[in-house]
Amino acid sequence: MNDDLMIDVRGLHHTYTHTGVAEPVLHGIDLQVRRGEFLVVMGPSGCGKTTLLNILGLVLSPTRAAALRLAGREMLGLGDGARTRVRREMIGFVFQRFNLLPTISVRKNVALPLRLRGLAADGQVDRLVDRVGLGGCAHKKPGQLSMGQQQRAAIARAVIGEPALLLADEPTGNLDSANAAGVLELLSDLHRRLGQTVVMITHNEQLAVTADRVLRMCDGRFVD
Amino acid sequence: MLVLAWANLTHHKLRTLLSALAVGIGIMLMLVSRGLAGGSLAEVNERMQSVDAELVVLPAQDNIIFTSGAPFRASHERHLRRVSDERGPLAAAVIPVFFGQVQMAGQQQRLFGVDPEQMELFLGPRRVTAGKLFDRARVFVEQVESGALPPVSGGPLSGSPQAAGAYAEYLADGLELVIDERLRRVGAYGLGDEVQIMGQVFRIVGVVETGVAGRVFAPLQTLREIVVAGEPTASMYFIKLRPDLEPAAAADVFQRQFGADVRVELKSEYGQLLRASFASVNLYMTASSSVALAACFLFILLTVYTMVIEHTRELGILKALGVSRLGLVRLAVVEAVLISAGGVAIGIALAFGARELIVLVKPLLTVDLTAKHFLAAVLIGVLGGALSALYPGYRAARLDPAQALSHE
Ligand SMILES: Nc1ncnc2c1ncn2[C@@H]1O[C@H](COP(=O)(O)OP(=O)(O)OP(=O)(O)O)[C@@H](O)[C@H]1O
Ligand SMILES: [Mg+2]
Repeated sequence: MNDDLMIDVRGLHHTYTHTGVAEPVLHGIDLQVRRGEFLVVMGPSGCGKTTLLNILGLVLSPTRAAALRLAGREMLGLGDGARTRVRREMIGFVFQRFNLLPTISVRKNVALPLRLRGLAADGQVDRLVDRVGLGGCAHKKPGQLSMGQQQRAAIARAVIGEPALLLADEPTGNLDSANAAGVLELLSDLHRRLGQTVVMITHNEQLAVTADRVLRMCDGRFVD
Repeated sequence: MLVLAWANLTHHKLRTLLSALAVGIGIMLMLVSRGLAGGSLAEVNERMQSVDAELVVLPAQDNIIFTSGAPFRASHERHLRRVSDERGPLAAAVIPVFFGQVQMAGQQQRLFGVDPEQMELFLGPRRVTAGKLFDRARVFVEQVESGALPPVSGGPLSGSPQAAGAYAEYLADGLELVIDERLRRVGAYGLGDEVQIMGQVFRIVGVVETGVAGRVFAPLQTLREIVVAGEPTASMYFIKLRPDLEPAAAADVFQRQFGADVRVELKSEYGQLLRASFASVNLYMTASSSVALAACFLFILLTVYTMVIEHTRELGILKALGVSRLGLVRLAVVEAVLISAGGVAIGIALAFGARELIVLVKPLLTVDLTAKHFLAAVLIGVLGGALSALYPGYRAARLDPAQALSHE
C-alpha cells in the first residue's frame, strides 16, 4: 500500500442494469492519483467518465473491483454510514448536473457542507460566493439562476469545506471562456494553497494544460 | 436540518397548511370534547358544593348523572332524621331534593324540587337579585303540611272539568319557580314569566345569583303532588350535620344504618362521583377523538411521504453531500413535527373559536379549556407527528444516492 496515494483503484468494473438489460460501462479500470495531484480526465460522451467519478466519490458502488482505496483506506465493503461519513468529511463534488437544492437560497446551498460538519458558516461563505461572482444573487433560489450561475454555485459548494479530494464533473461546461478561466483559477488556487487532490472531467483541451496529468478515456477504459 | 425542513414546507405552502389544518381539526375535537365534559362536570360539581351541608345521600347506583325518579321514601327521610348519638340526632337538617326536568332557554334543565323553607341552605351567601324565594308556595306548603288533601277525584287524569278546576285551584299557590341569574339572562326571563312543566303552568317568582345548586328550583311539595300524587319521596338528600361532628365519621354512622341500596357520601366527594359516572362516556369520547386524531396523523404521514417521493432527488443530493440515514429520518421527523406543531396551534385557536360558538348556541354549556389539556395537545401533536414521519423517514434513509440523483 502506498501512503502517497489519494486514490488507488484496481480492477474496477461497472455494469448498469436497466430494466433487466445489462450495460457494461467500465471495464477494468486501474487508477492511482497522488495526494495533491491535479488530474484531468477527458473522453467522448458516454464513455463512462461520470460513472467513474461517482464511484470515486462513493456515490455509486461498483459492481466489481479489486480495490478502491481513498487516502489509503479501503472503501469496498464499508457500510452506508461509513461511506456517508467519508463523503461528508473528505470529498467535495461538483456534479455534472449541479444538484443544488432548489428550496433553499444559493448562500445556504453553499454553506451546507459546513453545516453538515457542524461548523459555523460565516464570512467565508460570503467571500466565496463573491469570488465566484454570485454576490448579487446569494439570496436567490437556484431555479432563478442561469446555468452558468448554478454551475458556479455548485463549485462554491464543493470547495467551501476545503475537502481533501475534489471531484469535478465538467465544472466549466456551461461557462463562457472568461468564467471558465475564473473557475479554473479558483480550483488551481485551492489546489496549490491547500494541496488538494483534484480529479476534473472536461471536454476543454485548454483547461487540460493546467493539469499535472491528463488521462483519456474511451469505452470504459483509459487509453494512451 | 431545520432550515431544510422549513424550506421544504414553505415550498408547498398549501399542502403544508392543509395537513396542519387536518391535525388542527383533530386537536380541536379532542380539546373541545374534553373541555365540554370537564367543564360541565366541574360546573355541576361546583354548584352542588354550594349547598350548606356536609353529606349527600344517593341511591346506590353506579351512575349519579343519569339518575331518574325519586327512589327514597318517607321512611328514609324519617330514618335520616332519627340517626342519633348520645347528644341527639346527627343531622341538623335533612334536605330532600326531588329532581324533575324542565325545558328552558332551549335546553333540558334539571329541576330542583326543594322545600321553600330550606331555600336559605341552597342560597348561602348568594343574593336574591329579583323577586322572592317563593312566596305563595309557602302557603301551599302549609296547606299540604296541615294535611289538606287535594280533591282526589280531580287529579289531572280524571275527567270532569269541575274536578280539574278544583285541582288547579288547590295547586295554584305551589306553581312557583326560582331560577338563577345565568338562566334568566340566557333565556331572557322576567319575573312573572310562565313555564310549562308536566302539564302545569309555573310562574317565575325569584331570581338568585348564579352558583346555586340548581338553575331552576320548584317547591318540593308541588313536584311531589304533580309527579307522585303527594307521596313524600325524594331523589337525594343533603345532610347538614350538627356542628360538633366530623363529617367522615358521621357519614360512616349513617351508612351503617342503611342497606346497600343507599349510598352516604361526603359532599366533597361528589365531583369524584360525577367523574366516575362519566368515565364510560369519557372513554367513548376519548376513543372517538383519538380515532379522528389518528386519521389526521395519517394525513401527515401521507404529506411527508409525498414530500419524500417528490424530493427523492434532493434527498439523494443530501446523502451525496454526506447527510447520514439518521439525518434524513430526522429531516422527515422535523418536517412532520413542524406541521403538527402548526396543527396544534391551529387546533388550540379553533378550540377557542368552537367554545365561542358553543356558548353562543348553547349558552348554558361550559367548555373548560385548561392548560393541562393544551399540554396534552402539544405532547400528542409532537409525538404523533414524529411517529407518522418514521415510515417516510425510513424510506428516505433507504434511498440509494446514485439512483436518487438520476431521479428526474
Ligand atoms: N443510471 C444509469 N443507468 C443506466 N445506464 C446509465 C446510467 N448512467 C449512465 N448510464 C450509461 O452509462 C454510460 C456511461 O455514462 P456516463 O454518464 O458515465 O458517461 P460520460 O462519460 O459521463 O458522458 P458525458 O460526457 O456525456 O457526461 C452511458 O452509455 C449511459 O447511457
Ligand atoms: Mg458525464
